[in-house]
Amino acid sequence: MNEIALAVQNVAVAYGEKPVVTDVNMEFPAHQITALIGASGSGKSTLLRSLNRMNDEIATVTGQINFHGVDINRPETNVYRVRQQIGMVFQQPTPFPMSIYENVIYGLRLRGEKDRTVLDQRVEASLKQAALWEEVKDRLQTSAQALSGGQQQRLCIARTLATQPEIILMDEPTSALDPISTNQIEATLAQLKEQFTIIIVTHNMQQASRISDWTAYFEQGKLVEFKPTDQLFMNPSEQRTADYLSGKFG
Amino acid sequence: MQKAEKQDRLATGLILGLAGIAALIVISLVAYLLITGLPHVSWHFLTSSASAFTSGGGIFDQLFNSFYLVILTLAVAVPLALGAAIYLSEYAPQNGWTNALRLAIEVLSSLPSIVIGLFGYLVFVLRWGLDFSLLAGALALTIINLPLLTRACETALQQVPALQRQAGLGLGMPKWQVTLKIVLPQALPGILTGAILSAGRIFGEAAALIYTAGQSTVNVDYTNWNPFAPTSFLNPMRPAETLAVHIWKVNTEGLIPDAAAVSSGAAAVLILTILIFNLSARGLGNYLARRLRK
Repeated sequence: MNEIALAVQNVAVAYGEKPVVTDVNMEFPAHQITALIGASGSGKSTLLRSLNRMNDEIATVTGQINFHGVDINRPETNVYRVRQQIGMVFQQPTPFPMSIYENVIYGLRLRGEKDRTVLDQRVEASLKQAALWEEVKDRLQTSAQALSGGQQQRLCIARTLATQPEIILMDEPTSALDPISTNQIEATLAQLKEQFTIIIVTHNMQQASRISDWTAYFEQGKLVEFKPTDQLFMNPSEQRTADYLSGKFG
Repeated sequence: MQKAEKQDRLATGLILGLAGIAALIVISLVAYLLITGLPHVSWHFLTSSASAFTSGGGIFDQLFNSFYLVILTLAVAVPLALGAAIYLSEYAPQNGWTNALRLAIEVLSSLPSIVIGLFGYLVFVLRWGLDFSLLAGALALTIINLPLLTRACETALQQVPALQRQAGLGLGMPKWQVTLKIVLPQALPGILTGAILSAGRIFGEAAALIYTAGQSTVNVDYTNWNPFAPTSFLNPMRPAETLAVHIWKVNTEGLIPDAAAVSSGAAAVLILTILIFNLSARGLGNYLARRLRK
């Protein structure tokens, strides 16, 4: 059994009175890619956003989220520290209106890092990890918003990597991208899992089967099945999972 | 001809006609002011002091006072409006209290400026003991400009995509940092445009200033840069007649023989300045928005 990066116990999420996620228990293995799949409204994105407290002020999250033996869902948790350890990449690329270089080191700079050599090294390392370095190394000082959509998304991944998190949460990171950019991002993820634990929400079942080691299927706010990806796709134990995978859903 | 087509032509004609009338009123007003005023505007007119009884006086002090008042008012109003806008846009929950706050701001924007002028006279001039002064005028104008300026700042902040905030929070930035470092820079073009448009309104305001900044201009020393010196041109505690107040005063109680010429010349200068404010607001806004995207 793998080492556990994050353990979720009895987690439920509600928007006001409306429950969206109910009673989820699961353990995310370290240095693996875990895919969360399910139909729209199944609660997978909501659960993902709860894992680094991005649902604060939006929804009520109950239950425990254990990270290195600490429940990070407690009110007294320092959410900023949590988000530095558990980073997030969004559905749409979100470059800040500044240079490529500044985008990558933004998180670091705000934490007070001023040493130019450290910053330079981190920019190069992060961009290389995100497989963007070769394309942008000669124009680091130009605007990030002039990049293509796929490059912008890899830049956002690099920006998250630069803060050196342990876990990276990805909320449908390729849904706004063309197939070529999607391939590049998927290839990047395969490299990244050696150093990071990746949890990715995707609408695309082929993507889940291609890139993930573990897959969790969600339906109506409940975790239906959570298994190694090949087992879940080849041999689901729940009828509901089988129906969803074969397109008989609904 | 089809009935629908006929009706469409009629409606289009009506709309064009009404728009034309509105445009004609505005354009002819500006044209009248410029045609009657500009011939009286000369270098001498702009650079010499007003005279009390003889003809040939200028508007230098009033022009300077107007610009100085713009700076003083914006120095007070922009931080206040921006603070309120940041609260309303980034922090305030959507509930009865904040809706009441927005309503109060809207009501404030429809108060007649003479009412605000008299309020300023009672509170700033008398009670706070500021006397007739630039500062009292600036405070009254702050009240007038706060609603629109707050609204302009709030709109500018709202136009920054929500995902930018999420991305900042996702990097582990505290909310105040996201607001200050990510949201505010992107809202800056809109905020600056709002501030410059406010400057135009401040420049043209008269009623609120008559009882606050006063109608007289003391002799000031334009070489004394110490704002605490009583005779310094920078002293905010001195009474100061602005250009708009000057126009009003020359027309109502002016004793100079060339009152009509002075007031139309001053009006032309006033409207040109406001025009420049508005055009530069647009230009600067576009320029900053372009630079931000680069």
